[in-house]
Amino acid sequence: MKRDRDRGNTEVAAAGGSSTRKLKMWEEQPQPDAGMDELFAVLGYKVKSTDMADVAEKLEQLEMAMGTTTEDGVSLLSTDTVHYNPSDLSGWVDSMLSEFNPTQIGISGHESSPCSSNLIYDDDLRAIPGGAIFSNYDNKRMKLQQPSPAAVPTAVLVDSQEPGVRLVHTLMACAEAVQHNNMKLANALVKHVGVLAVSQIGAMRKVATYFAEALARKIYKIYPNDNSLESSYSDALQMHFYESGPYLKFAHFTANQAILEAFSGASKVHVIDFSLKQGMQWPALMQALALRPGGPPSFKLTGIGPPQPDNSDALQEVGWKLARLADTIGVEFEFKGYVANSLADLDVGIFDISPSNDESIAVNSVFELHRLMARPGGIERVLNLIKSLNPEIVTIVEQEANHNGVVFLDRFNEALHYYSTMFDSLETSGLTRPDSQDSLMTEVYLGRQICNVVACEGVERVERHETLAQWRVRMGSAGFDPVHLGSNAFKQASMLLALFGGGDGFRVEENDGCLMLGWHTRPLIATSAWRLRRV
Amino acid sequence: MSMEEKRGKFCINDNMDVLIEILKRLDDRSLGVAACVCRLWCALTRNDALWEHLCFRHLSPPPPDGVRTVVVALGGYRRLYMVCVKPVLSRLRQGKLIRMGTRHEVELSLSLFCVDYYERLLLGGRIGGADSPSSLMFLCKAVNV
Repeated sequence: MKRDRDRGNTEVAAAGGSSTRKLKMWEEQPQPDAGMDELFAVLGYKVKSTDMADVAEKLEQLEMAMGTTTEDGVSLLSTDTVHYNPSDLSGWVDSMLSEFNPTQIGISGHESSPCSSNLIYDDDLRAIPGGAIFSNYDNKRMKLQQPSPAAVPTAVLVDSQEPGVRLVHTLMACAEAVQHNNMKLANALVKHVGVLAVSQIGAMRKVATYFAEALARKIYKIYPNDNSLESSYSDALQMHFYESGPYLKFAHFTANQAILEAFSGASKVHVIDFSLKQGMQWPALMQALALRPGGPPSFKLTGIGPPQPDNSDALQEVGWKLARLADTIGVEFEFKGYVANSLADLDVGIFDISPSNDESIAVNSVFELHRLMARPGGIERVLNLIKSLNPEIVTIVEQEANHNGVVFLDRFNEALHYYSTMFDSLETSGLTRPDSQDSLMTEVYLGRQICNVVACEGVERVERHETLAQWRVRMGSAGFDPVHLGSNAFKQASMLLALFGGGDGFRVEENDGCLMLGWHTRPLIATSAWRLRRV
Repeated sequence: MSMEEKRGKFCINDNMDVLIEILKRLDDRSLGVAACVCRLWCALTRNDALWEHLCFRHLSPPPPDGVRTVVVALGGYRRLYMVCVKPVLSRLRQGKLIRMGTRHEVELSLSLFCVDYYERLLLGGRIGGADSPSSLMFLCKAVNV
């Protein structure tokens, strides 16, 4: 007992003080080395005088680079650069650094904290307090979109003490080059990204690697051709994603709560799941139904899944296992599985619904509806199908990001921000060891999404995520009214997130009746519930 | 033995009801220690009813009868406590300012317990002993900050 208590105390101290302790760590680090240069310190930029020789060397290299061209005949700085007089090094460094200052102040907030992200020698994103990362990206992104010429390529080469930022800049510059169809420049930049990425560690490295690969595919027009592997392997990948973080658990628990509340009082319930996969969502619902005051209803589940390449009946296997669980806990259960390449191929007739059935119907979709936007008319067809089923409730869980913009560059920047946050949350919450199978497979899972968003086009690009606001408009105009997820769902979700370590990185946010899971300030997943508009 | 001596020697093992009452008031770690005392105590501490009491003793009103059937079917109260209730309570109590009613914590524990059972079904089709892997096993590890 004593041991538990002690462990408890350290855990409390750790949880509360982890971010401040890490800040202190960085504060303390420069102190033992007394050689701080006062001149630079005044500018808010701590440089050890022992490093000055290094800095001088790099400046010389920069000077050479500015004058030469790469083997492609394209100087990395030939476009959009303001050239300073390279012989006046001190004046040039001053102007470079003063240019940097506004960015620094933007990142670290109002006080010039010595621990702004620029000064961290360890590139591990974990050391950066959450807020710093996002305002960092936002500032860079905003700078990019302004027509200021000095912003992009100059910053690419200047500061060796923040290669993480340099990496992000290079990625964005490459995407911009692709946007403007400047493939030579894009090619040079993507190679440069490869070089830079190797020197990183942790989440930043993984994100950069995946984005670089996706950009390379786009540039060389080598599109991923893994349709055959798609279904059998994507189920397994999503299972690992389930285990590696709270994301899917959040999705399932919040959707289940809405379904449970919609089913209150019904004696026959029918759930139509557009995203059955391994059926992980349903045990918790079945348990809640089993313990419902008044006894469980009879529970019918219809699962939709893609065809399997080896013609095995994956859906039936899942159905059988769920049946076993239902039998164990005493819930009357029936399962039907339907195979369909796309939800738009479904017809209302197959669901065997008739008004005399007297069953309450719920339609559930987790990360599936966005795929329909790859083909014109797909989403409309499915929404009409849902309406003709006359459900009590429709629960939709989608990624909270706009990865379906028309302009490639916007999509790219949005995806970079979103997936960086995802990878950061995976790494920092530390639920699984970084080398465990769950971690690795989750990275592959996310990497495939990245590749799809960046490199694919047309019907191939299925990861067409849209934001909650966009879904609201879509559902509203299709004839659905929102159903507020209640306080029970919120409490359950909060408790769930409190279980998943990561300090208090994960947040549940209530957004006008919908619930969003976010990492620090950035929402990642949104759950919403709908019902047919009563005319 | 004389009457005086017999009166002096009180053996707890002869008074099982008292023993059980005492065990009911212990926490999990003490129950573990008690299990090491002797075979009788070991058998007693494995009694699921003790663990049921441990899971729900702070819950008022007590959970309905249906809960017991479900929990026993999914693996018993001792597993429920070890895999779900204890980590949920210890993490939530230490954690920030989430002070839920105990009913919510219990509901969450039960849901996670059901997920645990299903995962074991998916993984092997055999509901084995306490060492079956599951995505909830991380809950048993110390919080990693």
